[in-house]
Amino acid sequence: MDNFKVTLRKNFILYITLGVLTSLFIAAAQGMDSKDFVITFLRGLAVGSLTFLVASGFSLIFGLLHVLNLAHGTLYMIGAYIAWTVFVRPDTFVDILTPFVLLLSGFVLQGVWAFAVTRIRLAGAMSKILPPAPLKFAGWAGILLSLLILFLTLSRYPIGIWDVTVFAQSPGTYAFMADQGTRAVPPVAIFEKISPALAILGLLAGSLLGAFSLTLLAGVTSAPQRLTWRHFAPFGLLVLLGILTLAFNESLTAWLVGLNSNWLFLLSVVIAVLTGMGLGGLMEVTLIRPLYVRHIYQIMLTLGMSVIGIEIVRAVWGRPEFIMPKPALFSGTGPGCPATTFADWWQFNCSTILILDGRVRVYNEIFIPLVGLIVLVAVWLLLKRSRLGMVIRAGVQDREMVEALGINVRQVFTLVFALGVGLAALGGALAGPSFGLSYHMGERVMLNALVALAIGGLTSYPGAALGSVIVGMIQQFMIKYGQIGIAIPFTEIIFKPSPPIVPASTILLMVIILLLMPNGLLGKKE
Amino acid sequence: MENLLELHNVHTFIKQYHILQGVDFNVPRGTITALLGRNGAGKTTTLKTILGLTPPREGKIIFNARELKGMRSFDIANLGIGFVPENRIIFQNLSVEENLKIAERKKGDYARKQDFIFSLFPDLKRLIHLSGTNLSGGQQQMLAIARALVADNSLLLIDEPSEGLAPVLIESVMAAIRELSKTSTVILVEQNFLVASQLAEYYVIIEEGRSVKSGTMAELVQDKATIHRYLGAA
Repeated sequence: MDNFKVTLRKNFILYITLGVLTSLFIAAAQGMDSKDFVITFLRGLAVGSLTFLVASGFSLIFGLLHVLNLAHGTLYMIGAYIAWTVFVRPDTFVDILTPFVLLLSGFVLQGVWAFAVTRIRLAGAMSKILPPAPLKFAGWAGILLSLLILFLTLSRYPIGIWDVTVFAQSPGTYAFMADQGTRAVPPVAIFEKISPALAILGLLAGSLLGAFSLTLLAGVTSAPQRLTWRHFAPFGLLVLLGILTLAFNESLTAWLVGLNSNWLFLLSVVIAVLTGMGLGGLMEVTLIRPLYVRHIYQIMLTLGMSVIGIEIVRAVWGRPEFIMPKPALFSGTGPGCPATTFADWWQFNCSTILILDGRVRVYNEIFIPLVGLIVLVAVWLLLKRSRLGMVIRAGVQDREMVEALGINVRQVFTLVFALGVGLAALGGALAGPSFGLSYHMGERVMLNALVALAIGGLTSYPGAALGSVIVGMIQQFMIKYGQIGIAIPFTEIIFKPSPPIVPASTILLMVIILLLMPNGLLGKKE
Repeated sequence: MENLLELHNVHTFIKQYHILQGVDFNVPRGTITALLGRNGAGKTTTLKTILGLTPPREGKIIFNARELKGMRSFDIANLGIGFVPENRIIFQNLSVEENLKIAERKKGDYARKQDFIFSLFPDLKRLIHLSGTNLSGGQQQMLAIARALVADNSLLLIDEPSEGLAPVLIESVMAAIRELSKTSTVILVEQNFLVASQLAEYYVIIEEGRSVKSGTMAELVQDKATIHRYLGAA
C-alpha cells in the first residue's frame, strides 16, 4: 500500500495527464456513432503503428548512439519505393540482383585484404621501399580506378526499368496495371553494349580493387594470422549467386511474376527491410562514425542525406504519386464481400470487413496495426531478453564501461543503426499499399514521429509506442470531426475543425505535455 | 618474479591536456599493487590508459608479453583484464543478474563463476533479480567487483573500492579483494592509505602525472617521510 502511494505521488502529473487524455478520448468517442468510431479508432491505430515504426527506430538510435538521424523519414520512404519495385517490377529487381551481388563480393573478403595489407607493410618495413605515404596514394588511385571500371561497366549493363518521362512506361502505369492483375512484363533487357562475361569481369575487378584500396586507406587494426577457406567462402558464394542469377535471369523473373501475390508481397517487404538495414549499416560505418565527436555536423549530415534521398527518389521513380497494389489476401471484392466475420474474410480475402456496421479496410486498418503490435512485442523482447538488448540498455547508460567489459561497442552501434533503419523501411514498405508512395511521405511521418517522441519521451521505448498511438488517434479523430463536426454543448454551434488543425492539434498537445512534463510522458529525467 | 604488466614511460593526453607525463612501473604476477597519490595525480587515468579507454600517445604497455598500445579497448579487455570503475558504475537499467551476465566473454562464464562470486558476496545472491537502481552503495560496489570476476581475468583494475563506504562495508570489500587476489593479479587505486597498506604488497606513487616512487608496501609503511610528502597522511 505504501509502495502504491509512493508511485502515485511520484507520477502524479503523469496520471493526471493520462486521465485527461483518456477522458478526452471517451468524450471524442461519445460524439460519434459506433460505425464512425470503429473506423476512426482503427485508422488512428494504423497511423500510430507506422509512426511507431519510424519513431522506435529513431529513438533506439538516439538512445544508444546519441545521433539524431534526421534522414530516418527519407529511409522510410526509400523502403516504400524498394518494396514497390520488387512487387510491381520483379524483372528490374532480378536485373539489379546480379550487379549488386558482384559489387558486394569484393567487400566480404575483408579478412583477406587485412592479411594482404599487413604483409605489404611487413615487406615494406623490411626493405624500406614502401613508406606509408605511397600506400595512401595507391589506395586513392585504386579507388578512382575501381570507380572508373564500375562506371564503364554499369553504364553499359542492361537493366529493364520504367521510364519516368513516358507516361505509358511510368511507375504509375505499371502500378495501375499490376493492380488490375494484368502484370505486363516488358521484354527482358539484353546485353547489347557489353558482353555478359566482360560485365561480370568488370564488376568483379571493380569490386575487388575498390575493397582492397579501401582497406589500404583505412588501415588495419586486426588481421588474421593465416588464411583459410573460410575467408574465401562468402566471396565464392556471392560470385556463384551473381552468375546464377544472371544465367537464370529470365526464368527467375518469370517465377517471381507468376508467384502468388501474397508471397511476392512478403518478399518485397523482406527485401525492403534488408535493403534498409544494409543502407543503415553502410551509413553508420561511412558517414556517421567519423562524426561521433561532432554532433552538430552529424545533424547537418543527416539533414543533407534526407534531402539527397528525396532527390534520388524523384529522379528514379518520378514526381507523381502512385500506390502499391495490395496483395491478393487483402484485395478481394467478389461475392461474400464485405466480409462480416473474420472467418468469412479468410475465405473470400475481402478487402473490407464489417465491424459494428463500419466498413473497415482490412489491410489499412487491421493488418498494419497488427504488424505494429508484433514489432512492438518483438523489439521489446529483443531489448529485454537477448544479450544484444542487454548490451544496448547498458550502452545507453555508459558506453565506456561496456567497452571495458570486452564488448565491441562500435559493432553494436552499427547493428542498432541498421536495425533502426530496417524498422523505418518496414514502415515505408507497409505504407505503400495504404497511403501510397510520394517523395514527401517521409517528411510527414518524420514530423509525426518527432512529435510522438516528444510526447512519449525521446529515449523511452514504451514512450515511443504511447506517443505514436496518441498522435495517430488525435489526427484521425480530428479528421473525422472535420467531417461530422463537434456539437458544442449548451449551444447550437457545430464546430468543424478545418484540415490545418489536424497537424496543429498534435503539436499543440506536444507543447502542453512538454510544459507539464519536460521529458515527455514516459521519458526519464536527465 | 615475472611481471604480468609493465608500463614504460607512458604519456597520455586527454584533448590537449598532458595528463600522464611519464609513468613507469611493473606489476609482478599474482600480487596486489596499489597506485597511491593525491586527487588528480593521474591514478584513474593510468588505469584507463592500460585499458585503452584513454589511449597512450607515447611509451609502451606490455601485458603478458604483448604490446597493448594501439589496440582497441575491447580487444585489450578480452586479453583478460577486468575493470572496476570508480563511483561503482553499474548498469542501472539492468538487473543484478544481467549486470553479471553482460560481462560474459564465453557462453556459460556466469554459470561457471556463480558459486565463486556468491561465496565472496553472499548478499548479491539475495538481490539477484533486483534492478541496479535499488542497490545501496555497498551493494553496488560488490556488484561492480563481482562483474569483473565473471570472465577469466588475469588482471583486475580496481578503482577506489572503499570510497564512500561505511567502515564495516570496507572490511568486507577488503576481504573480498584479498580473496580474489589469490587467483588474479590486482592493481588497486586507493585514497585510503590504511586500506591500501593492509591489502597491497607493492606500491607506486603517482604525482602530477609521473610515477615518482615505487617499491614494497612494507618499506613504505616504515618510510614516514615519503608518506607525508606524497600522501599527506601519517
